[in-house]
Amino acid sequence: MEKPFILHMLTTAKNLSPFDVNMAMDAGWVSAVPYINVEPSEVQGLVQDAIFSRSAKNLKRTGIFIGGRDTKQAMDMLKMAKRAMVPPFEVSVFADPSGAFTTAAGMVAAVERELAKKFNTTLEGKNILALGGTGPVGQAAAVIAAQAGANVRIIGRQLEKAQHVADICSHEFGDGKITILAGADSDKAEYIKTADVVFATGAAGIELLSAELIASAPQLKVAADVNAVPPAGIAGVDAFHDGSPINGSASGAVGIGALAIGNVKYQAQNRLLKKMIESDKPVYLHFEHAFEVAREYVKAKG
Amino acid sequence: MEKRSILHMLDPMPHNSPFDINMAMDAGFDVLMPYSNVKLDSVHALTQDAIFSRSPAGVKRTAFFIGGRDFGLAMDMLNASKKAMVPPFEVSVLADPSGAFTTAAALVACVEQQLKAKHGGELQGCKALVFGGTGPVGIATGVIASLAGAQVKLVDHLSVETAEDVAKEYNRRFSSTLSSAFAGSDQDKALLIQDADIVFCTAKAGVQVLSAAVLNEAKQLKVAGDVNAVPPLGIEGIKRGDSGVALVNAVNSQGAIGVGALAVGDVKYQLQNSMLQLMLATDKPLYLDFRDAFIKAREILQIK
Repeated sequence: MEKPFILHMLTTAKNLSPFDVNMAMDAGWVSAVPYINVEPSEVQGLVQDAIFSRSAKNLKRTGIFIGGRDTKQAMDMLKMAKRAMVPPFEVSVFADPSGAFTTAAGMVAAVERELAKKFNTTLEGKNILALGGTGPVGQAAAVIAAQAGANVRIIGRQLEKAQHVADICSHEFGDGKITILAGADSDKAEYIKTADVVFATGAAGIELLSAELIASAPQLKVAADVNAVPPAGIAGVDAFHDGSPINGSASGAVGIGALAIGNVKYQAQNRLLKKMIESDKPVYLHFEHAFEVAREYVKAKG
Repeated sequence: MEKRSILHMLDPMPHNSPFDINMAMDAGFDVLMPYSNVKLDSVHALTQDAIFSRSPAGVKRTAFFIGGRDFGLAMDMLNASKKAMVPPFEVSVLADPSGAFTTAAALVACVEQQLKAKHGGELQGCKALVFGGTGPVGIATGVIASLAGAQVKLVDHLSVETAEDVAKEYNRRFSSTLSSAFAGSDQDKALLIQDADIVFCTAKAGVQVLSAAVLNEAKQLKVAGDVNAVPPLGIEGIKRGDSGVALVNAVNSQGAIGVGALAVGDVKYQLQNSMLQLMLATDKPLYLDFRDAFIKAREILQIK
């Protein structure tokens, strides 16, 4: 008899995300077991505990999910989990803290689609402003876009913090192969003049880009907003926007709203959770893999 | 329709053990409910809460598992749960903190099997050392071997007081005859191992406890068993999968053999699996601890 699929779900927070639990069950995991308040130092012990109770064959039906709210911590925990494996006792691990990796992947893939469809171009060489970009989604989106060849600037209210986050993104998540810049929110009127793309990933209910600034952006092509709660993060882009023109944009920019992004995010997370089940060899999944599957989905959908 | 089987998994630690979760699922429980940070004084209420929501027929499809890292606490929790039952509202309970009961039972039974097969010996009267003897697996190994008649020394690598306290506490609780020792260096270990017949290595994963140089000092070692599956392994020269293979580094002990972690793990696995399944199959509620684990381990290895 085939053993049931078990996903051990680790989070540093005091609760798992019910969103992730639903997603795991819907992707085909039979049992989703929560481990809350997990300290990074406990990862090795938990992983080694999990891998030795099933045969190598049945370990394919076992997985570990890493949630939490902190991007760097989740990536560190993913690395620790990988290091803790004792081949052939090894299981797949997927990190998606706050769903940020798959949300960011969904957003960047949707932006890429609009660039191709409406402007016949790619992310390569584009200037991107990640507004409210110091949070988990902003960080992951910045890295994914930079790895696809864009020039990304993370904008935060405090320049120092934005610079710190940009450095982590460049060195930790991008392995030093990308350079992400930082900027202060107070200077965005200047930056918007050369921006091709805007990501809005700030807290819900804060307007990050006004109608006035949109009107003053001569080469803006796509503006994406992950915020589903009014007021919109980008003036004129609501949750239902999916490539429709933004009123008042002189450059003919189009908007992508939270529901369109959420749809791709859902598909990306679902596919990665399934990939863990279907893969013959253990896989270690994070934002890069999220972007791969988000792109596949967007491409197939046309 | 038959109700789904539910295993309530109580753990005094911050996290349930992923190992036990996998095992419980694989043994056939339909639903696992983890409860972490459980205090001893909550066990009564949790037990009664669980037994009254199903009919006596449904109660058969319900069971408790008690984890944690502490032998004594797990036994206290098992007893508290047993006392909280209100027949016919009564469910089975299995205690296996850190998997220590099943691991220890499997280790002792594997070593006993080799002792009989290769040396025609018995646990009765054998001199046994338990390295890592104050951890959960070590204590359970010591108590099981002692109750089977061996003269067991629990060895701690930090302090002799710890080993003494543990030996006293468990002798009082289970009428075992454990003694204690301290070994902080290879020299200490060399001294201890000289007249040992059996060595159990239950120290932390990834720590080599017995080097070739120490094994060289053993004069009458017959069987050594290791439960550490993470390199470096606990006993130099015993591979993970070894089962009754010559212990090449014990050059001064005629015919000494070793049992590695995966060989023990294989029996432990069958054992934990069958104990979990017993709770699903039984008509009467069962209360299972290290003693039942050892009986079952001997059955699995067909030791008479």
